[in-house]
Amino acid sequence: MTAVTLTRRQRTVLGKAGSILLNIPFVLLIMTPLLYTFMMSVMPAEELYSRFWPTRMDFVSYLDVFTKTMIPRHILNSFIVAGTVTILQMITCSMAAFSFSFLNFRGRQFVFMCILATMMVPWEATIISNYLTVSKWGWLDTYHVLILPYGCGAMGVFLMRQNYLTFAKELHEAAKLDGCSNWRFLATIVIPLARPSLGALGAYVFLQQWNNYLWPLLVTNSDKVRTVQIGVAQMYDIDSESIALMMAAVIVTLVPSLSIFVFMQKNLINGLMAGAVKG
Amino acid sequence: MTTKMAPARKIKPHKIKKTTYEIIEPWLFLLPALCVFAVFLYYPLGKTIYLSTFLTDKFGNAKIYRGFQNYLDILNGKYSREFWNSMWVTVRFVFFVATGGLVMGLCTSLITVNKFPGKAFASAIFAMPIAIASSAAAMSFKMILHKSIGLLNYILGTSINWLSDPVWTFPIICILSIWLASGINFIFIGAGLRNVPDELYESASIDGAGYWRKLWNITLPCISPTLFFQIIINIINAFQSFNLVKLLTMGGPQEKTNLIVYSIYLDAFRNFRFGTAAARSIVLFLIIMVITLIQFRAEKRSVHY
Repeated sequence: MTAVTLTRRQRTVLGKAGSILLNIPFVLLIMTPLLYTFMMSVMPAEELYSRFWPTRMDFVSYLDVFTKTMIPRHILNSFIVAGTVTILQMITCSMAAFSFSFLNFRGRQFVFMCILATMMVPWEATIISNYLTVSKWGWLDTYHVLILPYGCGAMGVFLMRQNYLTFAKELHEAAKLDGCSNWRFLATIVIPLARPSLGALGAYVFLQQWNNYLWPLLVTNSDKVRTVQIGVAQMYDIDSESIALMMAAVIVTLVPSLSIFVFMQKNLINGLMAGAVKG
Repeated sequence: MTTKMAPARKIKPHKIKKTTYEIIEPWLFLLPALCVFAVFLYYPLGKTIYLSTFLTDKFGNAKIYRGFQNYLDILNGKYSREFWNSMWVTVRFVFFVATGGLVMGLCTSLITVNKFPGKAFASAIFAMPIAIASSAAAMSFKMILHKSIGLLNYILGTSINWLSDPVWTFPIICILSIWLASGINFIFIGAGLRNVPDELYESASIDGAGYWRKLWNITLPCISPTLFFQIIINIINAFQSFNLVKLLTMGGPQEKTNLIVYSIYLDAFRNFRFGTAAARSIVLFLIIMVITLIQFRAEKRSVHY
């Protein structure tokens, strides 16, 4: 009897050790690029070409990123754009989803299918026409050209609608009998109840916007509105002073998105699961 | 003494007539969403189809109607060599990234199924690439792959120019894309694994099934819907890849990494051939549409659980 338990315990210990051993190479594989970037960003200038593990950490590059480059402005722009798009999508998607799940009207199914069908249209396929349109309107190099095209998303409508459909219909009827208008009902009852879904949508949209590259690349050409991904990509230069600076800038731009990942992981993953319908 | 009852009068259900406001209210809620979709999705899609039949000037104004000539030019005409090359590059890229991402996600989620110290940390690391911007990551990759001062050549003791070597560039771009896609694969496949009922494993263990047998006969069949769904997501995402190629290789060397979105970008914004670029966009649209329809169809049938 003791022999059996012993082997079983040995087996679990062995299994755990095996799991750890198996995980190490994969963790390293994912971590190395980031660790390396961080190492290069704190590497003192005199050690730059000679080693990969700095003997001391020199954070001067981070100071330089904030004082000598346009990155702070780009970060501000990214926060403005991503923040506005997030709030906008929360509003537009909530409203549209409310209409689809609580109100009855002719053509509801058809309109819903039209919105779902937009998932089949890759953004890249319409980008030329969108670019030509906004440049004809004289919208280039403005905040709204970065914001309005992303003002609503099929995935958000879908996510919020799925959530609203789980709410009891009686809630709406009771509110109506009490003379509560639909607008008030949405704002004071539905939206507070849907907070988890809104969080998922928000985390997902903010991250998507923070990391957006192609559209801002096309429609911005001055530092005034340029977003941070464009700003960082422009910094590529391998002379000794710039390497640490560039790597520090990469780390700085990763901080907001990684923070969302760390602090809103659950929300973000729920958002991704809903968003993956589109991918 | 029965009085004959008058036949019950049919009462028409009293229909409450909707006020005009009640009729338009649902549309008011939809208005912002419909405006965005109309202006930035349906209109440009129509415009792209329209442009794809025209020769345009430098500013993208439609000038000369050409019918299907733009399509013929890319499919079987003066740009066909370049177009088919980019299609072939894209299809191979999609194949490697979709399967590579799947394998990577399967490995990382399988090794984090059991409890072990550090499981939470490892899981967070495996999911992390979802938060990383491909453009920022490209800057790091550029340093790692640098010919003389990069980490990779240092570790391997080689001096290969990874981003312009005709042999290595394509595999490198695939590997980097798999790295970036590994997070989402890990999350979805991991979620699929957690949904496999424990009883199945227990009864298999009682029957004396070993790890690989259980993996092959229980785990994989049970998560096959997830894997199918995930590979579709990977395919759709990979078809739309652009950032790494733009920032690392510019489609080179010798167009070996000229993915379709990059070729659209070049055609429109470098060569100002908006007509053929629009035709390429429509090809991309059709591809994604077919794949999405396959997914919808399959989801309805919902493989098997």
